[in-house]
Amino acid sequence: MLSKSQARAFFLGGTFLFSAIFVFLTVDTLRQNDSRTNAQNMTADVLKGKEIWEKNNCMGCHTLLGEGAYYAPDLTKVVERRGATWIDVFLDDPQAMFPGERKMVKYNFTKEEKTQVIAFLDWVGKIDANGWPPKPNIPIDSIATPPAPKASSSAVALPQPEKFSQLCVACHAVGGKGGNVGPALDHVGTKFDADYLNRWLSDPQAIKPGTNMPKLPLTDPERKDIVTYLSSLK
Amino acid sequence: MRFQSQKVAYWFFATCMLLLSLQIVYGFIMGFARIGFDGLHDYIPFNTARATHTNLLVVWLLTGFMGAAYYIIPEESDRELYSVKLAYIQLLSWVVVGVVAIIGFHFNWWEGRKFLEIPRPLDYLVVVNVLTFLFNIAMTIWQAKKRSTTQLVLFFGLLCAALLYLPGMIYFDNQTLDSYFRWWVVHLWVEGVWELIMGGILAFLLIKLTGVDREVIEKWLYVVVGLTFLSGILGTGHHYYWIGTPKYWLMVGGIFSALEPLAFLGMAIWALNMYRKKGKNHPNKIALYWTLGSAMMSFIGAGFLGFAHTWPSVNQWTHGTLITAMHGHLAFWGAYAMLVLAVISYAMPNLTGRKLFTGMSGYLAFWASNIGMLGMTGALAVAGITQVYLERKLGMDFLVVQKEIIFHFIGMLLAATLFTVGITYFIVDFIRHGLPSDEAVGKNAGDLE
Repeated sequence: MLSKSQARAFFLGGTFLFSAIFVFLTVDTLRQNDSRTNAQNMTADVLKGKEIWEKNNCMGCHTLLGEGAYYAPDLTKVVERRGATWIDVFLDDPQAMFPGERKMVKYNFTKEEKTQVIAFLDWVGKIDANGWPPKPNIPIDSIATPPAPKASSSAVALPQPEKFSQLCVACHAVGGKGGNVGPALDHVGTKFDADYLNRWLSDPQAIKPGTNMPKLPLTDPERKDIVTYLSSLK
Repeated sequence: MRFQSQKVAYWFFATCMLLLSLQIVYGFIMGFARIGFDGLHDYIPFNTARATHTNLLVVWLLTGFMGAAYYIIPEESDRELYSVKLAYIQLLSWVVVGVVAIIGFHFNWWEGRKFLEIPRPLDYLVVVNVLTFLFNIAMTIWQAKKRSTTQLVLFFGLLCAALLYLPGMIYFDNQTLDSYFRWWVVHLWVEGVWELIMGGILAFLLIKLTGVDREVIEKWLYVVVGLTFLSGILGTGHHYYWIGTPKYWLMVGGIFSALEPLAFLGMAIWALNMYRKKGKNHPNKIALYWTLGSAMMSFIGAGFLGFAHTWPSVNQWTHGTLITAMHGHLAFWGAYAMLVLAVISYAMPNLTGRKLFTGMSGYLAFWASNIGMLGMTGALAVAGITQVYLERKLGMDFLVVQKEIIFHFIGMLLAATLFTVGITYFIVDFIRHGLPSDEAVGKNAGDLE
């Protein structure tokens, strides 16, 4: 049977050996870090953005690289997912973008600070994180019954414009994907004509005072693309 | 209690009770926010509640460890504490730093790094404080009449915990490195040196409560803490899968994390075996409940539930979801919270001379809080699995998924209420014990020594 001194040797030996391996791996990790994280792209804006991120304890709600508080979305790929424009609008008044939903503090960032935060998030999104986050691997169509009217519809929906997939899906869903703050847009093309949709997107308040729909910063071609796309949803 | 200076421990335990109550309050704030009742948002936004909830946990557990050390070290060293005055000064300054930090959180003053939110200037005060504590303990051991393994393991654990706080204070521009060294503190604390502290405290309690020969218990203490370090040091790798570190961490972290339950299993088997071999029936059954309960719940919460999601191919889906919160709750409860409550249950009758362990309320405290915590863990588990499936596997929108799991958070709040009932019983008993008394010196209820 094991004696006390053997047990002690097991403890001390194991601790020393595995600490040594850990330190060795740490050195190697540090050596590879610059290339894995694209350290050359850490501009002054990125560093400032990280400071703002920490100063306001954003990780107290959000997660980043999967680390955080699980109360608000993971922001690792947020710039890729939503685009800088959307984040910029969102940060001005987060609650206006998701009315009646989980609340985010309104930080009143300056234009410059917003740019810095976005630069930081953009840099984080490009870190080589061993393929994380993984893409969803169960196609939603495989379990949801396709909506009946879609099958009988003669019109074929156009592909989503980039701005639509960044801005609109934050609140609206199409084909079961997207937010549910605003109504689903699956058949919006049958309800409204292009002219109405265009006026609605230009200034929602003018058409329906008090609506929760924010006025989005869209250029004319962007708005036109979205209107064309929406009209195709029948 | 055999020494006057052990009375210091009482005030640390009292602080624990206060901080634990506050932690529960902040837990409820977060729970209600999750089901849509976030009326306090303007005053206590979620990130404030969250930082307060987790930091209170860390602070009350550390306070408990300190109290335990102040209680155990004199007895293990067979002499009075080096300086009682220093211990009181240390407690007072510790509380001041804690209170300032928590008030600071409410005014957007923090470091914004998960678990290490305490603002930098206060970090330095924490270091000074912990050094004072270690100095006091070290001097007591240094001048002691006898050396014991329990005493040394406990001290070594506390010393390493202090040293490992330092890597968390280095500033890194690079988010990946920031995260890398933050885990040196967080992981190597809870899955490393804190287990050393846990082992030391557990050994002390087992010696006292079971009457099994010290040599036997201490031999297995070495084996258990040996297993902890063998798996836990490289097990840090499970935090390095997706933060931008090299791919070999997937393998290293995966294999050693899979071994981590062994340490906790060892701890549970050790505690239960010592109980089976017991040479006496210690009258303080409630302390025994908490002690053995801690060893078993830490295996379920820290060992098994950790194991359930640290394998890389599982973790890529569960990383950063409520699954982590599920594991976190039962792990901290089983391993550390229950252990501190065990020490308090054991020490209080000795400190005050009142044998409240004969009543019913101690058992109610134990069962209500444990069933409550298991309920909370279960609710979080179901919420977490749903979240993983809908958000990660199907790609549904974050907020849409959060609405789907509101129901489970109602369940969590109900379980939390039961938990709170248990803790209330515990605290009421704590208060009923009254203050430590000089008459209690040398009258250890049922102890052989």
